[in-house]
Parts: sequence; C-alpha cells; structure tokens
Amino acid sequence: MSSDNFTSDIIKGATKGFLDWSSENIALLVKKFKEKKLAFIKDPQTIEIVKQEYRSGESKFYQKYVKNKEILFLVRIGLVLRKLENNETKLQNLRDKIFRRYKVRGLHIAEFVQAGILNRYLGLIIEDLSFVEELEKEIEEVLGNIEKHTLFVKYNENPFEIIKKVSNIVDSHTPRILIIFGIKSSIEIIRKAKEKIKQLMKNYELGEVSGKDKEILFFKRKLHKNN
Amino acid sequence: MELISLKDAPLESKISLLKELGYNSDGEFVLNAKGDKVIDKYIEVPVKINNMVILPGSEVILDDN
Repeated sequence: MSSDNFTSDIIKGATKGFLDWSSENIALLVKKFKEKKLAFIKDPQTIEIVKQEYRSGESKFYQKYVKNKEILFLVRIGLVLRKLENNETKLQNLRDKIFRRYKVRGLHIAEFVQAGILNRYLGLIIEDLSFVEELEKEIEEVLGNIEKHTLFVKYNENPFEIIKKVSNIVDSHTPRILIIFGIKSSIEIIRKAKEKIKQLMKNYELGEVSGKDKEILFFKRKLHKNN
Repeated sequence: MELISLKDAPLESKISLLKELGYNSDGEFVLNAKGDKVIDKYIEVPVKINNMVILPGSEVILDDN
C-alpha cells in the first residue's frame, strides 16, 4: 500500500498471468525487472479494481480538487473500499492495512468516501459557495479535520453517549454540517438516538441515508435571512 | 510496465525468483540476504511469500493490497 510514483506505472500496466517459471525465464524476468520494465503482483483482480477506480469520474474529480497527496490517496483507497464491499475478506484486509498505516483518522477518511458521505457533503455545501476555489478548501477542511465534522458511532456505544457527544460537538464549535455515521450494530444505536438529537439540533435541517448496511444523518445549520 | 501475476506461480518458482533478486524464503516469509524477515515498510508487518508483490524502485517487496 503506497502513494508513491510507481503506483501510476502499475495502474497503466498490463497483467500477465500464465508464465513459464523455468530458471532461464526467471532470470530473464529479473533482468526486465531490473530495467524497470515489469513488476510482480499477486492478484490481478485487485489491480483491476484499483485501475477502474483511478480512471473513474469520481477519482478524477477529487484528483482535481484535493492537492494534499496523502488525503487524495485515502480518498482513492475509500473508492476501492466501496468496490470491495461484496468481498468481506478483501474489504477487511484493506481496512486493517489502512488502520495500521494511517491510524483511525486515515480509516475514517477512507470510510467517509466509501460510504458516499463526501459526495453528499459537497452536494449540501455547493450551493453556498461563490467560487470554485472554495471547493478545494472545503474538501481539505472536512477531510483534514474529519472528527470535527463527523461522529463515527462505535458498535459498543449507547444512544445516550451519542446524544452527549453531539451536544458537546455543537456546543464547542457549532459546525455548519454535522454528520453522524454508523454501520452494522451502530445503525440501531443511531436510530434510537435520532429523535433526541433532532431536539438538540433545532437550528439544523436533517437529511438522512438509511439502509440495511449503514445509517447516516446529515445535520445542516439553517441559514437565517439576515446571514 | 508489464505486470506479472504471482497468484498461480508455484512456491518453488517464487523462492527461485526471490533468490535471483538476492532474497530468500523460509517457505512462509520473505527473508533478506541476512536471513531476516522483510518488513513491509508501509504497514510494518513481515511479508509472506504467498502475499508478496515486488515492485521496481530499489526492489520494493510489499504485502499485497
């Protein structure tokens, strides 16, 4: 897992599966490898998924507006996570690796993209932007300070803890948009806390994405006429 | 760049490949010339031979993914 330059060469490369693994051929392969004409990969399917994601419109869009290389890499990894949602083993493998390398913050950025939250977030703020340059700042702000904007609900929390956390976030920095996100067991926790949170967030409009695999609440601060 | 899949390569061939590159294997992990386990520099775990990728640029051996 890397964000180095060779990633793009790998993406452009064509995969060969079957090979003559005789010692003569291995020596020939090593010669080509040392000339930087080939690389040895494990699973062509993984490379194909990454290739598709690097070429996708979503990836190209974020490439244009995310200048921080580490954050862009995590955005792209988030798109790959989304592609792996039907393969639980690979999905968990990649999540573990993101966590080892980029800790909780990196995993949260990737999950934020995987769940489509970043796309929706931009949909909510884009009408408030006057210049396209602001989009770049907004994306880097929300991803760079992801914990300020998003409450990632853990499976072992209870609804009261969530309500308290929301209250603390709103009291401390009154975010323009607050997102509450949960998967698996956290879905029910969010659903149980939702009504109380709505009461706390009277100055916010609620949008939600509710499904069997995730629950996302988007609270957007209401704009007053004199603002 | 040409990409060679190691997915279906026999274990002996992977070991031969590593030896040709100056590495080795105990059958499970990739070892360097000193016999120490090669550590994936990005995720800091020993690289298993069945999960390795070998990329050009100072011979970077990494765990898959």
